[in-house]
Amino acid sequence: MSKGFASNYRVVLLAVAICLCFGGLGARLVELHVFDRDEYLPVIDRARRQIIVESARRGDILDDRGNILATSQSMIVLGVDPQAVRPGDEKKWPELAELTGLSLAEITKKFLTKTRGGPAEPFAIQVTKPTGPAPAAAAGDDDDAEVDDPADANGERPIRWEKLCDDVAESTYAKIRGLDIQGVYGNRVYRRVYPHNSLAAHVIGYVNKSGAAVDGIERYADFYLHGRDGWREGERDGRGHEIAQFRTRDVPAADGYSVTLSLDLGVQHIVEQELDLIAQKFQPQKATIIVSDPRTGFILALANYPTFDLNEYNKVPRDDMRAMRDVAITDQYEPGSCFKIVAIAGALNENLVTPQTSFDCSINQIEYEGRVRGLPREDQSDHFKMLTVAQITARSSNRGAAQLAMLMGDQRFYDYARAFGFGQLTGFPLPGEIDGTLLPPNKWDALTITRMPMGHSVDATALQMQMAMGVIASGGYLLRPQVIREIRDTNGRLVYSYDTVVKRRVISEQTARTMARLLMGVASTQGTAPTAAIPNYEVAGKTGTAQKIIDGHYSEHHHVASFIGFFPASRPQVAISVIVDDADAHALNGVAYGTSVAAPSFKHIGEQLIQYLGINPVYAPAGPSLVMGGNRP
Amino acid sequence: MNASPTHGFINHLVVYTLVLIGLSGSVGLGAVWLRHQISLAANASRVLDARIADVERNLAETTTAVETERDPNILLRRDTEWHLGLVPPNEAQIVHVNEDPVMRLAAKRNRAVFGEGPGQVAVAFPLAAQR
Repeated sequence: MSKGFASNYRVVLLAVAICLCFGGLGARLVELHVFDRDEYLPVIDRARRQIIVESARRGDILDDRGNILATSQSMIVLGVDPQAVRPGDEKKWPELAELTGLSLAEITKKFLTKTRGGPAEPFAIQVTKPTGPAPAAAAGDDDDAEVDDPADANGERPIRWEKLCDDVAESTYAKIRGLDIQGVYGNRVYRRVYPHNSLAAHVIGYVNKSGAAVDGIERYADFYLHGRDGWREGERDGRGHEIAQFRTRDVPAADGYSVTLSLDLGVQHIVEQELDLIAQKFQPQKATIIVSDPRTGFILALANYPTFDLNEYNKVPRDDMRAMRDVAITDQYEPGSCFKIVAIAGALNENLVTPQTSFDCSINQIEYEGRVRGLPREDQSDHFKMLTVAQITARSSNRGAAQLAMLMGDQRFYDYARAFGFGQLTGFPLPGEIDGTLLPPNKWDALTITRMPMGHSVDATALQMQMAMGVIASGGYLLRPQVIREIRDTNGRLVYSYDTVVKRRVISEQTARTMARLLMGVASTQGTAPTAAIPNYEVAGKTGTAQKIIDGHYSEHHHVASFIGFFPASRPQVAISVIVDDADAHALNGVAYGTSVAAPSFKHIGEQLIQYLGINPVYAPAGPSLVMGGNRP
Repeated sequence: MNASPTHGFINHLVVYTLVLIGLSGSVGLGAVWLRHQISLAANASRVLDARIADVERNLAETTTAVETERDPNILLRRDTEWHLGLVPPNEAQIVHVNEDPVMRLAAKRNRAVFGEGPGQVAVAFPLAAQR
């Protein structure tokens, strides 16, 4: 064997050198990983570890036919890191200003302001939203978020992210990225978009820019809609990019469920068009129209005037904030003659009267419970003498209704009013509903029993009146008004389905049928609302013209005009309420009667719904015909 | 001249050390390559995720744009702008058949078969009608 190159001296030297090198490296590793571990670990954590929050997409709100009423769209919150700005990019700033809609002066100021005074919180683990290719910074839904480094010795903090503008569209952002200005980047956020602007604004509600559901279904169904944000824990490289292979935890975002409403876009549009016409013609203080399916209690359309654009909720002037209230459930009014259905239906249901029972409606006073009570005056007293219950209904006799209520007695009349849903919440799933006013008999004065049957001394919301009329249309049941049809997950699987909820039976089916027949008399030439009649269709309904209380007195010049009805009367398919508040100034003869202001709108909406929903008239029984089976030879 | 046992041992030690270093280096390089491949795969997966998210975003944007265009007010405006003259149907355009259409058609056919006219007695067949 040859001696080789190794002499004892060289070999030992080499071995010692190698051992020293490895030993040195080992010692340094031990020092870093064991002795200095506590010192360096937080630094490394700060520098490399990150948690990326993945925003869940809020679920859509759909109408009954699958049209999107509210959806979420990704937008860009654009910002700049002034520390990364290159002087060479200055010539691109005017183009950036044009794309963002900012002035060049603003852009220049934001780009050149590199520090701000005051202390900053030291960094912990940085939480970031998913970002574009530029360095990530914490700028999520909080639009004014600023991310700065710790302050220097002079107390100045370098600015690492300054917002330029929010709600930049993806296409615009692509152009901005195309400019290749270093330090300019955006963070994607979801913004709520309402494709139909003001349509069904009060039902849908809205989500503000910080992502909080403020009103309407957005708020009521927020639990289902908002979803659950996901997050990823991992490391990032020196440029702030995520090192994908070092993800340690990955919790995917769970998008929100979609909520399908019973609203129908077409019906809602018809209703809102009618409200526009009412607003143009009468310029009322406010107005409400509700359309529902009386067999199920589901609302097909609900609209108020005035209204607002859901996409521009933040631009509603302070003086017009009332436009954002869903007055159909938050405001109460004296229902006027529409309330007579309680006294008439109650008396019929108790078998105290029949449609042919007559009452003397020419008298001014009547004795009740040992005291003489003054009866309210009639609008057309010269026509009213002896009236049957059917005529009291058709001609809307105040005195007739009062006598029917007195026949029932205070307590029984009150019980029927409660049973019809007055003085209590309907259970409608939107925030802000009030229960109206219905005082118990022990708080009534001597005149209440004569005034309440004609709709005074009682307050109701538009929705309460709609559901009260629904009692007659549904065959005697008080139903809970509902607007959510079903909830589905992101894969379209049914999560929850809403069904008809019967609150109670109020009157018998026979009484309901009789009432429907009596209410058909209202929309006839002998009734108060021939203007509501639809040729070939059985329209049942009731007019209301309630004086408003102004400065503590019933006003002769301010009224709430209403018509609440349904059709076809013998097989109801839609119930419609039209309530117009204070349209007197532009009404015929200066008084806004239900028959002249509200009933024509009922008819107009009804005629359109007949076409849109395919409502057939009730067939007359077929007469004898010559019929023969078999094939024709 | 024969090498002493010490030299032989040292030579072996050096050779084995070099081989060990070589092997360790190879294993190290292999591990680095493997981690690089993992990194590439993870990045590719991340890019794909981002692309899917992009597509979903564009889809949502398009859906919103389509839905906006389907708004009844916009459709009405388009109808006016494009002079389409579309109007909703009205009651006058519709003829309601206020009886059972089967019976009506059967009666009509029978009139043709039997030549039923004024002055003739209408004959009904209730059992056939019930079927």
